[in-house]
Amino acid sequence: MTAVRSSTPAIPLSRTPSPGRTAEGGWHRTLRRFRRNPLSVLGALIVAFFVLVALLAPFLAHPTERNPFMIPHTGYASDPHPPGPGHPFGTTEEQFDLYYGVVWGTRTAFVVALSVVATAVAVALVLGSISGYYGGPLDELVMRVTDIFLAFPGLILAVVIVAVLGQSVRNAVIAIAVVEWPSYTRLLRGEFLRVRDMEYVQAAQALGGGDLHIITRHVIPNTIYPMLILASLNMGGIVITFAALSFLGLGAPIGYADWGQLISLSHNWIVGTAGDPFTFWYTLIVPGTAIFLFVLGWNLLGDAFRDVFDPRLQGSR
Amino acid sequence: MTGFILRRLLLLPFVALGVSVLIFSLLQFLTPAMRASLYIHDPKQLNALPDIIRKYHLDQPAYVQYWDWLTQVAHGDLGWSETAREPVADAIRGYFPATLELGVYSFACILALGIWLGTQSAVHKDRLLDHISRFTSISGASLPTFVWGLLLLMVFYGHFGWFPPDRLSLAAGLAVRSPAFHPYTGLMTVDALLNGQWWIFWDALRHLVLPVATLTYFLTAVLVRITRSSMLETLRTDYVRTARAKGLAQRTVVDKHARRNALIPVITLAGLLFVGLLAGVVITETVFNYPGIGRWGVNASQQLDIPAVTGFALIFSGLLVLGNLCADVLYALVDPRIRLQ
Amino acid sequence: MRTVTWIKRAAVLAVTVAVITSLGAPTVRGAGEAVKNPDTFVELQFGDVVSLDPALAYDIYSSEPIWPNVYETLIMYSGSSLDKFQPMLATEVPSLANRLISADGLTYTFPIRKGVHFHDGSVMTPGDAVYSIRRFLLQDQAGGPAWLLLSPLLGVDSTRDDSGKIQIAFADVARAVSAQGDNVVFRLKKPFAPFLTIVAAWTFVMPRAWAVAHGDWDGDPGTWQRYNNPKTEDRYAFDHMNGTGPFTLERWDRQAKEVTLARHDGYWRRPASLQRVVVRSVPEFATRRLALQQGDADLVVASLNQRSQLLGLPGTVVQDNLPQIAVQTLQFNFKINTEANPDVGSGRLDGGGIPSDFFADVHVRRGFAYAFDYAGNLGGAYAGKGVIPHGPIVQGLLGFDPTVPVYTTSREKAVAEFKEAMGGKLWETGFKFTIPYTAGNTARQTGAQIVKDTVGALNPKFQIEFRPVPSSTLISLLLAHKGTMYFLGWFADYPDPHDFAQPFLSANGYFPVRSGYRNPEADRLVDAAVGTADPAKRKALYKQLSMISYNDLPCLFLIQPVTYYTMRSWVHGWYYNPIFWGQYFYTLSKR
Repeated sequence: MTAVRSSTPAIPLSRTPSPGRTAEGGWHRTLRRFRRNPLSVLGALIVAFFVLVALLAPFLAHPTERNPFMIPHTGYASDPHPPGPGHPFGTTEEQFDLYYGVVWGTRTAFVVALSVVATAVAVALVLGSISGYYGGPLDELVMRVTDIFLAFPGLILAVVIVAVLGQSVRNAVIAIAVVEWPSYTRLLRGEFLRVRDMEYVQAAQALGGGDLHIITRHVIPNTIYPMLILASLNMGGIVITFAALSFLGLGAPIGYADWGQLISLSHNWIVGTAGDPFTFWYTLIVPGTAIFLFVLGWNLLGDAFRDVFDPRLQGSR
Repeated sequence: MTGFILRRLLLLPFVALGVSVLIFSLLQFLTPAMRASLYIHDPKQLNALPDIIRKYHLDQPAYVQYWDWLTQVAHGDLGWSETAREPVADAIRGYFPATLELGVYSFACILALGIWLGTQSAVHKDRLLDHISRFTSISGASLPTFVWGLLLLMVFYGHFGWFPPDRLSLAAGLAVRSPAFHPYTGLMTVDALLNGQWWIFWDALRHLVLPVATLTYFLTAVLVRITRSSMLETLRTDYVRTARAKGLAQRTVVDKHARRNALIPVITLAGLLFVGLLAGVVITETVFNYPGIGRWGVNASQQLDIPAVTGFALIFSGLLVLGNLCADVLYALVDPRIRLQ
Repeated sequence: MRTVTWIKRAAVLAVTVAVITSLGAPTVRGAGEAVKNPDTFVELQFGDVVSLDPALAYDIYSSEPIWPNVYETLIMYSGSSLDKFQPMLATEVPSLANRLISADGLTYTFPIRKGVHFHDGSVMTPGDAVYSIRRFLLQDQAGGPAWLLLSPLLGVDSTRDDSGKIQIAFADVARAVSAQGDNVVFRLKKPFAPFLTIVAAWTFVMPRAWAVAHGDWDGDPGTWQRYNNPKTEDRYAFDHMNGTGPFTLERWDRQAKEVTLARHDGYWRRPASLQRVVVRSVPEFATRRLALQQGDADLVVASLNQRSQLLGLPGTVVQDNLPQIAVQTLQFNFKINTEANPDVGSGRLDGGGIPSDFFADVHVRRGFAYAFDYAGNLGGAYAGKGVIPHGPIVQGLLGFDPTVPVYTTSREKAVAEFKEAMGGKLWETGFKFTIPYTAGNTARQTGAQIVKDTVGALNPKFQIEFRPVPSSTLISLLLAHKGTMYFLGWFADYPDPHDFAQPFLSANGYFPVRSGYRNPEADRLVDAAVGTADPAKRKALYKQLSMISYNDLPCLFLIQPVTYYTMRSWVHGWYYNPIFWGQYFYTLSKR
């Protein structure tokens, strides 16, 4: 695959038109390709829906506690109650309102996932760029460190970190970020290696541009797309890992508006009563659907990004 | 090639050292009382805390404890796991075959299903089958494992009574622990066959159905995606176009030419997938009460059983390095264009 | 071509389906009344055995197989009674009437039964009993139960002092418990009313020869110090058992988390009905319940908030409302260590925190006591299962007195008390603090929520939060005296009021040590009440102690819980005694 310098800087360098074809207006083509695939559109719609819910949370469900992320509950009876007046989705164990939990849980999901991604990307930008750009022994060191972290089973590392630091949403975010940063760093480093030797970078160096200037203005913008793909595919996985931590009692505290926490509460009720195994179906189905759709949306979106931006699929349509 | 393998194997002790340092450095965040809580099983034992701290040297700084552990390991003793109530080495030796068995069966199912689905998906790109298979595999990764597991348990065990949790039924368990039964490998299905006990083999298999189904549903998504994209890439290449132009049947094109080359990245992934299985098995084992290394590892982490966590992490990281090595070697063998530097 | 492909695919699918259903088919069963596994009893609970060594185990999950199923004691509780005993390994229950208790209450003589065989076939002698009890006293593992006998026999709580040095002499032990002819004789230093009940629950007998043959202490005065404070794994008896009970240990599979017991055919009474007993730990409730439904489990232990999912299962019976000699409390910390403490806010009485002696003010404590919603806690956190206690002496114990007053929810009284608190300043300044509670414990979380809601409703300046912490952190907080209020429970070691009065009210009791509560009058009364054998006198003294507890308010007594077990209806012979740590399998049968 030869790298041909594109005439329009707006087109990401990774998308190189094969010789003999004209480069159409880049974004139009991207968008059209995106629109053609119904699954991509579905993914985008789902994510857009959740973004809307997250932004409008205070209006959709009025917070009553000092901390709006704590779900209000009426009374202390432990058995869940089915959907009814005042509780459109029913209540889970200890009368936590499921509707409130799901709405504010959307915010929690975004906050957690974005925090983790932001932290991982920040670390990756620093370490990956140093490692990829300068190479040599620095690169070796960073790679060995990522090796060690990647050699550790992810969930176990997260569990140990939260167990040590104490159960809280913040510590769970730290723990998951510690688990995720090596993948981002490696990806960014790979991209840096690829881009470093490209002609325009060498040209910039010849023109006397400083390292930092080159990295920030030329290299990083053109390596962002694989990160975008990884991040969007990761968003769902992070939420699931967070749910797993809640299941193990190491994620959000009980009563916190978090889908994973709500599902982990439901597992006490999953077999229902004697006559009817589905008595408490809503404790599982309601937060479960939320988590399912959220992750589904991001997975589809991430897939779509990959299909659209991945150079190897160039010319397939 | 040999040089490459040797250099990779040299990684093992380095990674092991790094992992153990990482874990012990977390000790900085723990007070001696928190570490002593591992030995407190009932609140009434609280009075003994200072005694316990003194007895197990828990008030020593982290580097002193690390050095103690290191010297102990140098003598071949991985320490005692309080959560497992037996030496760490014994615990690992006991739990690992169970997880291995679960992993191997899941791995086989994931490979078969993933490659088949991915291939079909690529060949029938953007048609109904493609959408269905992509949707199914993605949806499989969109819910937490324990939810799927419990749902399966509820339907297939609670309602129908077909596939129970645990590893063996009561009767089979007793038979396996009797002196007449020789445990050759620790894998129940294999051992049952080697002992000629068909009913134990069926019993073990029955208990594996749900955990394997849970794991398969999850990790198939990744494999389908990779297979599909790799297959797509291959199908667009020149030599495939040539084959088609020559008038070869679709089946031949796909099976004989495309698939082999499309499988190259799959092999890389398969190596990682296997070790990823061993990690992802944690929650599955908890839900189905399956006595494997994942369930033990999480318990140990939750209770801050440091020797156990360290021992577990060492084995795991060793496996991962070896897994990566195998994948790389396989990659090199399959694709003559690759040269391992 | 395509048709052939589809036929092929259909065939593959059909074969797969056939294989899978054939795997599942043998187990399809209806509600089925036929007894499953008639010789084997399966109990599913959710805690792990820590150690099977009777001298070292001090948690309920280890104690279940140990007593009274594999090891036995000198005397035993009679049926479901907590104060009537029957002879067990001794042939008579000592009393003043039969002179086996000396008139001054300092000497107890137990004539030992003859012809009792241990599981390895050897015959039990008084020497074995003496060896076992001395071993119990002298091994004294940190966190073990040795103090229960050390305290009455030797007057100390540990063989080691605070710096770890041995503080008792073998001669004292030899004098305290010795063999004389066919008897085992105990000599106490001071009269101790509950001594018989402690003997009934804690004097396990194992064979000396077997222990010595496997590396344990040989009973020699010169060597005992080497065996003191062992690590769990150091003893052969950790995972091997050899007692006189109706069951032997067949196997402890630590990976399957399962203890398997087998019938002891040489039992000194009629052998048990059950051939085999399996006790397995299954943390996941859904799995436990499904096993019960399928008949794979005969008895299932579950927590109170899961009870509704166990009612009415076909073929099962719920043994409900089983009283427990236990109490759940909310402790005040009288002297909070405010250094680097995230839960006390500013650490001063300025509306943004609490000072170290916040709970030392009785008006503050009374305010909390009147504000708390006891009925709501009982109904919400404990599903209505239990009773409100009248102080530390709970129902079922000698000295329980329903006329002892309790604090009832009263908003006006709470407001009045808070207005007087801290010299009248508290109402204006307000306060703020956090309650740490054991993560995952929903009952305690509900309790914390109730405190926050009820007290917070009195005055907007009263800000209470609560946070879950792992038990390791809670233990750390307890040791450092950093917690503000603690949700702590207490389960009986033996069914005597002393086992409750002392831990709650004595200066060196379990709770006052943590909270800083002191009352010398209470100390005096506790000592007096344990030193006399006269039940009437003891009742009067414990009534006084209950009143002290009411007035001093060292903690809130939230609930005396009840428990329940769910079992298949083919289980017969089950009976309940609150002092049993688990099930007594000897009387059980499956029909």
